[in-house]
Amino acid sequence: MDAIPAIRVVDIRKSFGTLEVLRGVSFDVHRGNVVSMIGASGSGKSTLLRCINRLETPSAGEVYIDGEPMGAVEGRDRPLSEINRMRRDLGMVFQQFNLWPHMTVLGNVIEAPIRVLGMSRKAAAALGEECLARVYLSEKAREYPARLSGGQQQRVAIARALAMRPKAMLFDEPTSSLDPELTDEVLTVMRELAKAGTTMIVVTHEMGFARDVSHRVLFLHNGQIEEEGSPAQVFGNPKSDRCRQFLSKHLQ
Amino acid sequence: MFWEYRLVLLRGLAFNAYVFLAAAAVALSVGLIAALLRINRAWPFRWIGTLHVEVFRNAPDYIMVVWVHFVLPLLLGAAIGRRIEFHPFVSAVIALGFVYSGYFAETFRAGIQSIPLGHIEAGRSCGMSEFLILRRVVLPQVVRRMLPEAINQFVSLFKATTIVSLIAVPDLMYQVSMVIQQEMKPLPLYTSAALTYFAVIYVVAGLVRLLSERWRNRIYA
Repeated sequence: MDAIPAIRVVDIRKSFGTLEVLRGVSFDVHRGNVVSMIGASGSGKSTLLRCINRLETPSAGEVYIDGEPMGAVEGRDRPLSEINRMRRDLGMVFQQFNLWPHMTVLGNVIEAPIRVLGMSRKAAAALGEECLARVYLSEKAREYPARLSGGQQQRVAIARALAMRPKAMLFDEPTSSLDPELTDEVLTVMRELAKAGTTMIVVTHEMGFARDVSHRVLFLHNGQIEEEGSPAQVFGNPKSDRCRQFLSKHLQ
Repeated sequence: MFWEYRLVLLRGLAFNAYVFLAAAAVALSVGLIAALLRINRAWPFRWIGTLHVEVFRNAPDYIMVVWVHFVLPLLLGAAIGRRIEFHPFVSAVIALGFVYSGYFAETFRAGIQSIPLGHIEAGRSCGMSEFLILRRVVLPQVVRRMLPEAINQFVSLFKATTIVSLIAVPDLMYQVSMVIQQEMKPLPLYTSAALTYFAVIYVVAGLVRLLSERWRNRIYA
């Protein structure tokens, strides 16, 4: 393992008003590793993920991307333009896909490479085709998102995130709004990404995926990491009662 | 009778079109700015935006045209200590542009707020700036969503251009009144004028609706 983790989360806290959603969470994600976050809804796992790429601003704590602090630069708050630059390194996949409906599939994928990275349209299109091929949707490049199934839309969203060549991918319950028969095609793509050595943080209710693919599993409860370890440890022999209860409910 | 004067009248209609186009440009740009103010997080901006919308939406266009043409130059003149006068065309464009900017601001605001936050967050997580997201993700969708309502407002604006004859912009209505003073035949002339406006608006608005529907529907399919 390298000395500097790809993502280091240090004592992140987040409150919405008087509601304390995260109460000090710390963990590292090493390059090429997959970390799954599991836990009941309301445990803070999505908020934690959103704090990492600063869709939510943490109330306290810091996130380091390759050792570089996300929230501060030279001891001062990092300006939004600088945060935008850091966000390029973190691909995000949402529960609701969030494709832009007025652009074609390829348009969605190449938008940020052109406008943010300044790639030429031609180079971006080549990259876009490559990313679409990785999610097995090359033939849908010219379609509009409304014509695709949920599973296809989510795979386009994955391709869109990959096209920025991020250092890590963040998945926020990527299969939770999909019909059961469509989750597999998304999970297959994610398994392949993991196998190819993509650094990933995955918030998920798919216990099978978390067990088979992750290097580490975090069980969140009440805004804190209640249990963490290798999948074998967390799924096979959890120390915490709450984790055991949660798993017995979710592993039929 | 109407046919005899067709060249004069056509020139008048062209003036309607000029006023309409210029006022529409003012209304759209000022309306967009007002809408962005209204949804701003800082309350002073929100307050200015709301004031703008309420003032102009609730001002009759006739009074606005007269006020901008006759009162505003006096106020501005007093402020800079020099006599100024607006060309009637300029007054008409300012007055109608601002009145309709109030309506367009509301249309824009509703459109912007109807865009799911997730689309914006997807842009943010790709490293896009807020301005880039507005330009590339939000506004293109807003335009499609607001089109049906906007077309109705454009129709109202075009009809409203007829009142500029009151401050002597030589539009179709103005020309018709002039001809009537010579010929003393209001019935055929006014009726033809009404029919001309009807035909122009009906055909153009219908055509725009037809063309825009297909473009709009592609994203909702």
